[in-house]
Amino acid sequence: MSMQTVALLVLLFPAAGAILLAGRGWRMPRTVTQIIGPGVVWASFIATMVLLFNHTFNDFYYWTWIRSGSFALPFNLVVDNLSIFMCLVITGVGGLIVTYSVGYMAHEDDPSYSRFFTYMDVFIFSMLLLVLAGNFVFLIVGWALVGLSSYFLIGFWYRRPSAVLAARKAFVMNVIGDVGMILGAFVLFVSYHSLTYAGVFNELTSLSNSESPALELAAFLLLVGAVAKSAQIPLHTWLPDAMEGPTPVSALIHAATMVTAGVYLVGRMHPIYDVAVYAHGAVAIIGAVTALFAATIALVQTDIKRVLAYSTMSQIGYMFLAVGIGAYTAGFFHLLSHAFFKALLFMAAGNVIHAMHDEQDMRRFGGLWGQLRPTSITFLIGSLSLVGVIPLVGFFSKEQILGAAFSRGEPLTYAVWAVGFATALLTGFYTGRMWWIAFWGKPSPERPVEHPHEAPPVMLIPVVILAILATIGGFIQTRALGFGPHLIDDFLAPANDYAAVGRQMWEEAAGAVVIGLATMALGGILFLAAYRIYVTHAWRPWSAALPWAQRLLERKYYFDEAYDAAFVRTLDRVADLGFRDVETEVLDGAVVGTAELAEAGAGYGSFTQTGYFRNYVLVFVASAVILAIVLLLRAA
Amino acid sequence: MGTFDVGGSQLDTSWFLLLGAVLFAMGTAGVLVRRNPLIILICIELMLNAVNLTLIAFSRQLENLEGQLFALMTMTVAAAEAVVGLAILVDIFRVRDVEDVDDLSELKG
Repeated sequence: MSMQTVALLVLLFPAAGAILLAGRGWRMPRTVTQIIGPGVVWASFIATMVLLFNHTFNDFYYWTWIRSGSFALPFNLVVDNLSIFMCLVITGVGGLIVTYSVGYMAHEDDPSYSRFFTYMDVFIFSMLLLVLAGNFVFLIVGWALVGLSSYFLIGFWYRRPSAVLAARKAFVMNVIGDVGMILGAFVLFVSYHSLTYAGVFNELTSLSNSESPALELAAFLLLVGAVAKSAQIPLHTWLPDAMEGPTPVSALIHAATMVTAGVYLVGRMHPIYDVAVYAHGAVAIIGAVTALFAATIALVQTDIKRVLAYSTMSQIGYMFLAVGIGAYTAGFFHLLSHAFFKALLFMAAGNVIHAMHDEQDMRRFGGLWGQLRPTSITFLIGSLSLVGVIPLVGFFSKEQILGAAFSRGEPLTYAVWAVGFATALLTGFYTGRMWWIAFWGKPSPERPVEHPHEAPPVMLIPVVILAILATIGGFIQTRALGFGPHLIDDFLAPANDYAAVGRQMWEEAAGAVVIGLATMALGGILFLAAYRIYVTHAWRPWSAALPWAQRLLERKYYFDEAYDAAFVRTLDRVADLGFRDVETEVLDGAVVGTAELAEAGAGYGSFTQTGYFRNYVLVFVASAVILAIVLLLRAA
Repeated sequence: MGTFDVGGSQLDTSWFLLLGAVLFAMGTAGVLVRRNPLIILICIELMLNAVNLTLIAFSRQLENLEGQLFALMTMTVAAAEAVVGLAILVDIFRVRDVEDVDDLSELKG
């Protein structure tokens, strides 16, 4: 089988799974859903593995999708190291999460159970299309489909008003990004008369990397799409609300894959961003600001999934920071590592929520360490990886980003490094708070379940696999220590020349290793400090000294309120005005006025209809006489 | 040409046209002012025959037989019209006694 077919199969497996489940699966026994749902994702994973071991750089052409005059758009898939890397994350971590869902969603009623796996397979298909697409049109199609399946899955429990509202919010925010993407593609098309990656990038190189306003504009518009999809400031408000969806959805879509699409986009478009320096700088700044901003909000959240959601925003901020300063491979390494440990954290949290009968407020947990030992251990591994403790995967990826920023030696990179460093400390603290409150100490008196049961194997095994990956995964690239293997850099470098910048930068700066270890130590100390504050209460919590800051963070910097005032209520008022003054007055007035005019006209017209025979005859005769006179006069 | 030999004396065509016009005006006036349906029908016949007279006068003057053919045609139409009109009237009279066409106003909206 040619690699071209295999690349198409990667896409077709989940699509076929979704069609099967939507069409027939829900009428068959549950076992069918349990096999097809995760099975197609694993099939796709195997196909991706085949590509991994047999690939060269390829831009596979399948058929011409649109032909109009001189313009032709192919359906083509780009199979290079970057897309294979992304496919491995999507299908590998995705496969684990979909398998986990078999257990987590077991309480669902029958049609809904199958519906869940249909949506999941649709999502996997859309995400694979997004990363494999070889032109902007199919990138946007995948981009929009990903948003759509995210909408389906957030609103999966459609009887809950909060879930429906959250789904709508996510959809609207994502559509803002889609519009940005589409406009960006328009600008590129107008400038370079091509919509394929190959066409646009070739034009870019042949123009000898000349900076142009149109290119900056396109880069900024694409960034709007990336920011919306990856929940970066200022289009981030949908992600915390998206936690209304089932926990596997949060793990797969809102932690491991979909929200990293923005990072993928910047990486894929790096020929554009390498030239468009202002947009590239904006990527780094947005990433750094979001990283810090989200980490501060995570300090006060009490819903365990919301802590993880803000933490996700913060970690994706790191990735944006990395790709924004040109350290592409560091960013993608963090993407991989984050997919491991954040999916692990979400699924472990899902096990806890499952055991606690859907309670998500972590203040009502407490003392789970003794009762849910396997889940607690995996959660601890995930937490420490998030904090960035050596030798877990999070240390290597995060410190590589910070080291790259530090050693770049420009004012901007020093600034984003400082923000990233502060964020790392906050991460240590909020992760510690979450861990100690939820798992340590005495069981909370408000706990809904006295003796919780550990999750079944189908939910535990994927978590354990991810825990193992989060523990040993870092050793594929230990650049943060200045020595050892660097598989990710090597893998992404040859086909894409992404790594060249980041790698040289790192090797020049061995001094950053010390700073990396110091960051880890400080983060770890803050992790432990949370124990003194939230378990033993030996120290006063910081919020006691700064109640206004606590309130500010609890209200999430009033972003929702500001958007509500600026857009929702303004639009409401405009709509009100339109209804009261335009709709009722002008439009209804025109309709009613036409009717009244017709009625009045008919009233006058009906006077001619007297009903008297002689009147009609008189009119007839008079007309004939007048006509005769006219004819005679004209003849004369 | 243009004169008719009537009982030995010559008459100009215009006299016949004048007679037709007078008869036609009388018929029109009758249709307009009378209300009895029978009289109205008779007045219509009068108008039609005035037209016949005019047609025949012109036919004779122009020595063209088409005018006489047309007069025959008009008589046919007049007969048909009289049949239909009288049939309607007979039908109405069977239901009620109508003295005035203005009483027949059931179809007025």
